[in-house]
Amino acid sequence: MLPFRIELKTGSPVSEQLVYAVTKAVISGLMRTGDKFPSVRTLSQELRINPNTAHKVITALIGQGLLEVRPGIGTIVGKNPKATPQQRSELLGEDLEHLVVEAKKLRLDVGDVTRAVEQHWNKLS
Amino acid sequence: MNPPIIETRGLNRRFGRTEAVRELTFAVPEGSIYAFLGPNGAGKTTTIKMLLNIMQPTTGTARILGVDSTVLGPRELAQIGYVSENQELPEWMTVQQLIDYCKPMYPTWDDAFCEKLLKNFNLPPHRKLKNLSRGMKVKAALVTSLAYRPRLLVLDEPFSGLDPLVRDEFIRGMLELSEQSAWTIFISSHDIDEVERLADWVGVINDGQLHLSEPTESLQTRFRQVEFTASPETTRLPATLPANWLVPEMAGQNVRLVESQFREGETLADLQRLFPGGSDPVISPMTLREIFLALARTFRFTTESKA
Repeated sequence: MLPFRIELKTGSPVSEQLVYAVTKAVISGLMRTGDKFPSVRTLSQELRINPNTAHKVITALIGQGLLEVRPGIGTIVGKNPKATPQQRSELLGEDLEHLVVEAKKLRLDVGDVTRAVEQHWNKLS
Repeated sequence: MNPPIIETRGLNRRFGRTEAVRELTFAVPEGSIYAFLGPNGAGKTTTIKMLLNIMQPTTGTARILGVDSTVLGPRELAQIGYVSENQELPEWMTVQQLIDYCKPMYPTWDDAFCEKLLKNFNLPPHRKLKNLSRGMKVKAALVTSLAYRPRLLVLDEPFSGLDPLVRDEFIRGMLELSEQSAWTIFISSHDIDEVERLADWVGVINDGQLHLSEPTESLQTRFRQVEFTASPETTRLPATLPANWLVPEMAGQNVRLVESQFREGETLADLQRLFPGGSDPVISPMTLREIFLALARTFRFTTESKA
C-alpha cells in the first residue's frame, strides 16, 4: 500500500499525476517530515508503472526538496515541506477547474457555485 | 541512451516458403521495459526463439548481451530469464524439485529471493507441477527465471490465459528486478492493455515485419488525434491525404484522423490546404493504447487471433 492517495487516469502523463499526488499528500499533512517514502520498486509494483517513471518522479521530488535521501534508510519526506499559501491554492487548481467545468455544463452561475461551496464548507466545519 | 542489450540486423526466418520474420532490425536499450506488440501469428515467438538461440535465423544477425545469438552459451544464458506461454515444464516434479533442478545452473542464484517469490506467489513447494493450475505453473516458471536475478528477462505472451489476480502477481514479481543495478525486460504481447503503463519502449510487428521500434515518449510526442468540422462545401474526404494521417474518418461534417508525424505548423498547414474553411481543430495527445489501436487499424490487423 502507498502512503498517499492516487488514482491514475489516462490522458495525462503518469509522472505528472504522481508528482501532484505526492505533493498534495505532503502539503496537506497526510505524509509528514521524516516519513519513509516508498522505493522505486514499491512505487512501480503498486501502480504497475515503469520503474524508470517511478525513478524520475522520486528524483524530481528530491530536486524540489519535498523528499530527502537518507543513506541506509532510503527516501524520506523532507524537513521543510511547509507550503506557501500560493502552493496550497495551486494544488486546488485541478479540482477547481473540474468544479467550474461541471458547473458550466449545468448552466450554473458563479453565485450558485459560491453558495454551494459555502453550504458544504459550513457542513464540514 | 544505454547500450543495447538486444540488437538485431536484418533478421529473417523462413519456414519453407513462408517468411515468418522479415528484415527485423531493432535494438533494446538496457534498463528498459520493451513491449514487443503484434497480433498472434505476427512472428513474435519466432523472433524470441532466434534471440535466445532456440532457433537459427535464415539470414541476419542478433546480438544479446553483446554476443552473437548463434553462439549464446551457458555463461550468457545464466544471465537471461525466459518465460514463455507454451513453456514445457517437467510435470512430474514438485515446485521444490524444479527449483533444486534449476539452481545449480545459475551461479547468481539467490535463495532468499527465491523464498520470497515463492511466498509472494503462494506457491505450494511440495505440490507436483502437473497438479497445478495454469496460473500456478506460470508463476513457478517465473520463480525459476527470476531467482538468479537475470540481467535480461524475456517473456513471451506471459499473461495469456491468466486471471487478473495472477497477472497482477506476475507483474509485481517481474518488477522485483527493478531493485537491481542492471535489468531489462523484453515482453511480447498481443494485448496493449497488459503493458500500457509498464513499457517505455515499444516495437510493433505485423506479418513478420517491424513497423516501429521507439520509446513510448517519442511515440506520444509524434501522435495526435485531430478533430474538426469541415466546411459545408466538403462532402467527402479528399482522395489523397498525407501518408502520415492514419484512419481518417468523416461523419456528417465532423472529421477525425490520427496525425502520426505531428508538428504543429505543418499539421495546421496541411489541414488548411486540404480542408479550407474548416473549424479550428481540436488536437489532443493520445495514450499508448489509442496509438496502438490506430496502428492496428491501419495495418488491418485486429488484436484478436489471426489464425
